Amino acid sequence: MKLAEGVLVLDSSKNVPIITVKNLTARFGNNVVFEDVSFEVYKGEVLVIVGESGCGKSTLLRIMIGLQKPAAGQVLYQGTDITHAQEKDLNLYRQNIGVLFQSGALFSSMTVKENIALPLSEYTNLSADAIDQIIKMKLGMVNLAGYENHNPSELSGGMRKRAGIARAMALDPRVLFFDELSAGLDPVTAVELDNLIIKTNEALGTTMVIVTHELESIYKIAHRVLMLDKEAKGMIAEGTPQELKEQATDPRVKSFFLRQLPSAPAEQRFYVN
Amino acid sequence: MTTPLKDDCPPAYQISFKWEDLNLFIYLAGEFGLKNLNAFTDDIKREISRQKAQSVTIDLSEICYLDSAAALALVQIEKGSVSRNIPCRLINLNDEAKGIFSVIHEDALTHLPFHSEKSSDGVIGQVGQASLYLARDFVNFVTFIGELLVALAYTLRNPKTLRGKDVLFYIRRAGVDGLPIVVLIGLLMGLIMAFMSFLQFKQFGANIYVPALVSFAMVKELGPIMTAILVAGRSGSAFAAEIGTMVVNEEVDALQTMGFDPVRFLAIPKVLATVIVVPILTIYADLAGILGGMIIGITSLDLTVKTYLTQSMKTIQVFDVVTSLIKASVFAGLISAIGCQRGFQVRSGAQDVGKYTTSAVVAAIFLIVLTDSIFAVMLYYVKRYSIL
Repeated sequence: MKLAEGVLVLDSSKNVPIITVKNLTARFGNNVVFEDVSFEVYKGEVLVIVGESGCGKSTLLRIMIGLQKPAAGQVLYQGTDITHAQEKDLNLYRQNIGVLFQSGALFSSMTVKENIALPLSEYTNLSADAIDQIIKMKLGMVNLAGYENHNPSELSGGMRKRAGIARAMALDPRVLFFDELSAGLDPVTAVELDNLIIKTNEALGTTMVIVTHELESIYKIAHRVLMLDKEAKGMIAEGTPQELKEQATDPRVKSFFLRQLPSAPAEQRFYVN
Repeated sequence: MTTPLKDDCPPAYQISFKWEDLNLFIYLAGEFGLKNLNAFTDDIKREISRQKAQSVTIDLSEICYLDSAAALALVQIEKGSVSRNIPCRLINLNDEAKGIFSVIHEDALTHLPFHSEKSSDGVIGQVGQASLYLARDFVNFVTFIGELLVALAYTLRNPKTLRGKDVLFYIRRAGVDGLPIVVLIGLLMGLIMAFMSFLQFKQFGANIYVPALVSFAMVKELGPIMTAILVAGRSGSAFAAEIGTMVVNEEVDALQTMGFDPVRFLAIPKVLATVIVVPILTIYADLAGILGGMIIGITSLDLTVKTYLTQSMKTIQVFDVVTSLIKASVFAGLISAIGCQRGFQVRSGAQDVGKYTTSAVVAAIFLIVLTDSIFAVMLYYVKRYSIL
């Protein structure tokens, strides 16, 4: 019998959507960040959202994790609208997702172990021993075995991110969100994180939505890429990293993936695509 | 909202046990995850301990949902069984299940923590630690006062280096914004004091002394102390939190690397602003207290405004007002200095900011009371010798 969905599924050929974003518009006052953005996140895939600074990647992520309400549109998690959900339903959704924030966002007053134990003791009735074993396993998964009693301030930037991933994975979430995965990290640590993402995705089949600028990371980890644009106020490209690099005709997409300055004048770029 | 599993996946887990002689076969089907972890591990352990098995085989072929916590629980059941000399095997794992089991590293589970958990010292140890902390704290504060005076001297010699806009900003924050609460509390204290003393004095027909008591107490002690405590709570804590957050965000390091002295840049405007506004606030508090007393005087004591004010003026001397304002300035210096010093002591994280903000207020109140006692004794002798 084939193992079904949940954390086990890694059958992207079926393209079963786990999150559906429908006609999403985000606005700060009169300033439209993006409008009418629609896409789907498929089970088991690693979806990377890219775009220049200020194009609304982080806003999109915040709406998808229920921290911000959109001006219009919906985000559906397995068919349930989370943008208009009650706090109780939103909390249930939040138990099915894990989020790694840019700085790791570990609670500085708690040790690494206490950080990871927090969701486990809050949402399960496991014994202290069982929680302890799960923490050790999660720390082993992110190569931080033995660091349970360290304070976040005693960890390096990369270690903090890995501890953040361990905390985000504490409840074995269906979807993991990463904001600026490798921002501010050295290349070796960034590669370690990339490998961790690939390993976790392959082993557990966890769906991942990642916001990043790092081209090398994108080529390595992304199954699919969405590109947002500040001027177009929306999505301008979607595809595998290779497709976007080799086949894109839009100068904005080409300049991003080829790491070149756009050659076309700004007015023209606005209307391309 | 739920997370539906596959259509043909049973809504809950199912476990069937089969004994062949003394060999136990356990067949798992359905969903195995964090939510039902306690239940299914209890079921399996109960069956294993029911009678001494020669071997245990756990068949995972019908599992349709498994998470890493459930996989870990199965591995531990396997290990527990093996440790009791009962061979145990997990069989019929497909590729996805193998993937999940691959994240469980034996080394990580048995790895000893690099740091042991922090254990608390005994009573003697704690007293010792607290004493050392107090001593260090005193030295740090005195050192900071020294740094502050050096920075102040530099600013006085080079007035252009003073950040005037910042001084005005903190004058507004600590002074203008704090005025309503200072006046309100002063007024209420005057009211309460007049009312309570009226209740006692009326027994002796000494109502005429109520204005004297209220104005004397307000001007000499309560006005400066109350204002100082309010400023410690409002502004001392704000200074500590502001500088502390700047330390956490490495803004103080940035100032240093740009060649600025953080004490001169951050603390001097705050200290100067506080020293300027606290005496002014004290005057307002004194006046509000006298006004509060006057309200009771007029409504309950049948005194006229003129009588009340005359009685008040008789009691207060210029010496009292001047020393009260000097005292208020000293309080202001201490409050702002301790607020800034506690801010600079923050090292990392939100908890440190909270700790030192609290400490700034507590230490400021302690210093206010201590300094007030010193002033009381000192002023007694100053007045005595000046009379002689």
